[in-house]
Amino acid sequence: MQLNINGQGIHAKVDPAMPLLWVLRDVLNMTGTKFGCGIAACGACTVRIDGLATRTCVTPVGSVVGKRIQTIEGLGTPSAPSKLQAAWIAEQVPQCGYCQSGMLMAAAVLLDQTPKPTDAQIDAAMTNICRCGTYQRVRRAIKRASGQSLDPVLGAGASA
Amino acid sequence: MKKRTFLLSAASVSGALLVGWGAAPPRSRKGSPALMLPKDGEVALSGWIKVAPDGSVVLAMPRSEMGQGIHTALAMMVAEELELPLERVRTQQAGADSIYGNVAMFVGGLPFHPKDGEPGHRTTAVKVGEWMVAKLAREMGINATGGSSSVADAWDVIRPAAAVARGQLLGAASLKWKLPVEELTLALGVVAHPSGKSAHFGELAGHAANTPPATNAVKLAKYWTLMGTPAPRQDVPAKVFGQATFGIDTRLPGMLYATVRMAPALGGAPARFDPGPALAKPGVLRVINLPPYAGQTAGLAVVGATYWHAQQGAQALEVSWQGRAAGNFDTRMAMKTLQNAAETKAGFEFHRRGNVPADLLPARPRAAISANSATTAGDAAVAKGSIGAATGARTVHAAYTAPYLAHATLEPMNCTAQVQGDRVEIWAPTQVPQVAAQAAARVAGVPLANVKVNVTLLGGGFGRRLEVDFVCQAVRVAMECGGKPVQLLWSREEDTTHDFYRPAHAAVLAASINADNMVTTLAIRAAGDAISPRWFERGVMILASPIDTPDKTAAEGLFDMPYGFENQSMSQVATQIGIPVGFWRSVGHSHNAFFSEGFIDELALETQTDAVEFRRKYLVDAPRHLAVLNLAAAKAGWGLPMVVGMGRGIALHESFGSIVAQVVEISIEVGVPKVHRVVCAIDCGQAVNPSIIAQQMESSVVFALTAALHGSIDVEAGEVKQRNFDGYPMVKLASAPLVQTFIVASDRPPTGVGEPAVPPLAPALASAIRALTGRRLRNMPFAPQTS
Repeated sequence: MQLNINGQGIHAKVDPAMPLLWVLRDVLNMTGTKFGCGIAACGACTVRIDGLATRTCVTPVGSVVGKRIQTIEGLGTPSAPSKLQAAWIAEQVPQCGYCQSGMLMAAAVLLDQTPKPTDAQIDAAMTNICRCGTYQRVRRAIKRASGQSLDPVLGAGASA
Repeated sequence: MKKRTFLLSAASVSGALLVGWGAAPPRSRKGSPALMLPKDGEVALSGWIKVAPDGSVVLAMPRSEMGQGIHTALAMMVAEELELPLERVRTQQAGADSIYGNVAMFVGGLPFHPKDGEPGHRTTAVKVGEWMVAKLAREMGINATGGSSSVADAWDVIRPAAAVARGQLLGAASLKWKLPVEELTLALGVVAHPSGKSAHFGELAGHAANTPPATNAVKLAKYWTLMGTPAPRQDVPAKVFGQATFGIDTRLPGMLYATVRMAPALGGAPARFDPGPALAKPGVLRVINLPPYAGQTAGLAVVGATYWHAQQGAQALEVSWQGRAAGNFDTRMAMKTLQNAAETKAGFEFHRRGNVPADLLPARPRAAISANSATTAGDAAVAKGSIGAATGARTVHAAYTAPYLAHATLEPMNCTAQVQGDRVEIWAPTQVPQVAAQAAARVAGVPLANVKVNVTLLGGGFGRRLEVDFVCQAVRVAMECGGKPVQLLWSREEDTTHDFYRPAHAAVLAASINADNMVTTLAIRAAGDAISPRWFERGVMILASPIDTPDKTAAEGLFDMPYGFENQSMSQVATQIGIPVGFWRSVGHSHNAFFSEGFIDELALETQTDAVEFRRKYLVDAPRHLAVLNLAAAKAGWGLPMVVGMGRGIALHESFGSIVAQVVEISIEVGVPKVHRVVCAIDCGQAVNPSIIAQQMESSVVFALTAALHGSIDVEAGEVKQRNFDGYPMVKLASAPLVQTFIVASDRPPTGVGEPAVPPLAPALASAIRALTGRRLRNMPFAPQTS
């Protein structure tokens, strides 16, 4: 089947029932998208498909033929980072980093749909699990990337 | 058995060793340059530092990065001593040598009261104990990442190694140019002389390797330009672009995938199975029997073209399982056993001061109560927030419990292995590379020297990856894959149901209050399974012994309190429940701080004293604790009125050499506590990187909050009932508090930051809930009790 991933046409000979997550990771060796739970509970596997945040562990690959798929690898690169990724670095968000691909993709979709999200909108959209507890920095980075003002950080500096 | 007897008998057993060892000099941890495997023009100056031709520097990295930021913190030490920008220092995985062993972690496991280790207070027993364990640890050189010890352990090893390297580079320039060392300058990787001579490290390294160091003193903190600053983490960019390689991301030519189905009952095994239906599935290659390795439960592995194919096969397997031969586990029964043990057994007394009546703690078996009820013996003795409560000399009692907990690292257990003839190579997100290598060698039946370990990044560790069960399984599977590499990856369900859990504990606490409203006596006895002896048996056999010695990790947080109560007795009863247990972030402190600081809050209320004021009263000769307490209270505005509907609580706890106080501010929303803000003060010695410290405070608070509100692993008929995040909920962004970090200025060597902010959260939250609702919670998790 023909898949459109990060603007490129990719031909993959796979069972249509196979979740997109495993096509990406194990067939195409695109390991930026992660596996955390397999039941769409954690969001580590989030990519953007036709503009929507999608948890790929429960998305059969057959259902996304012909759709525009964007993974973390397509969000930005070190030489051309997205605003979100630059904000993520400025706020020093990641710790172990395992959830961050999914977190960034979910944030990218949020900012697409709501360019200047409020705290409540961030709460509602960002349901990814981070076991390292980077949440307050995720919130700050989203606000920074969307050009919204940030409260001064009290205590030890959060940004570099 | 009394602590003194235990220490003396341990010392006499080792006496003969002492005589021999005492004569030998302390083992150097400088190491041979060959350990760094220099190539392509690189020059190694020791087992820690090598210089690339372009003048950049490589540090041998002995510790695993699981989010705690130590890859950056340790690189900062080198950059500082060598006057290099941080970007010019990179790390490579350290080889297998005892110089890379963790000494600080093992010394930290000694059962001494922290006060006995303070300058001016150090007793002979402490000095001898620390010397013996440090020597043993250096000789054994066990490379482990854990115990919040990486920076502390590196402090007197990596900094001197870098300082010596600086001395060698300066010495080389001095010799080459025939100019005095004192006239040379060192900046940005270049050694220069005012006369115009200059050379970068790459040009000097060849000479430097053969030059004795002209200087070797580490920099004084007052001259630091990088250390102590919030330098950006080196691993952040890759993690933001999806380029970071975790264990699960290992990709090798021809690699196969495998997954597991272990017996649902812990300690069980497959009774009968038919691999036919699995092998009939597309892309499924093999079904392999897995014995119970390294403390794990037996099961079956299925090999396939991808993880998904292997998983389709695994679900299609027809298996009938048998339970544990000695009987299946049940956590309701376990909790009853724990409570009975806490009440009726003497246990091992870890700390004693003054006189404590033998009958102060309950010694009668009590009527059965359910594991989740919030009851105490002597509830009537503790007034609920009313002024004019009991006065006069009296005793106060309480009983606390804490459940089993899973680690729930977001990256599930996995290991990639390749067995070709008598050679084994593994790629593992491990906290213990040599233990993993030894386990792999045993499973494959090959010499240790034939095993190569590649340590990847870890998608969370929290102590789970101190175990090597998944390594053994991967090697066993690889032995059947005809020399091809195979990645063994567990499902989330297998991960949650086959963990090495934070052990459940039960505690009984009692205090005596005199007619002047002073607490004169505090006694605590907690019961729970020991961890360390089991961990040694699973992977560090040289330290395993036929009988369990008292496990400090089970009692830490109880016996090491800073308060000056005149009479104290803290004991721990080692039970033998047998549910697999392991080290969970902050270990014994994770439940014991809830018990001890929770009870301190009860005593403050009982004596009608403000929670901060109460602690101040009893923090005699504990200036560091007082400073941390006061800092948290001041920054939180303790004592100022709160908005209606908000409440606050506080807790103070020392662990892993650091002292943390937290003020937790909450409201109650639809019956459930919502934490708005946590003010976190820490004394962790000299701060290497305040941004990383703040990250660890934030991380620990969310980790601890998840456990305090929701965490519970329940076992019925041998099976863990919680399987995935739908049954084992996590705090998410919407319910995460704002954590504000304040670091006490200190000139002491650095102490831990990865774990110390976990223990105080639960008791501070319980204190806040009590303040706002009048209800005292003595059992975790809280949410089921409040909603």
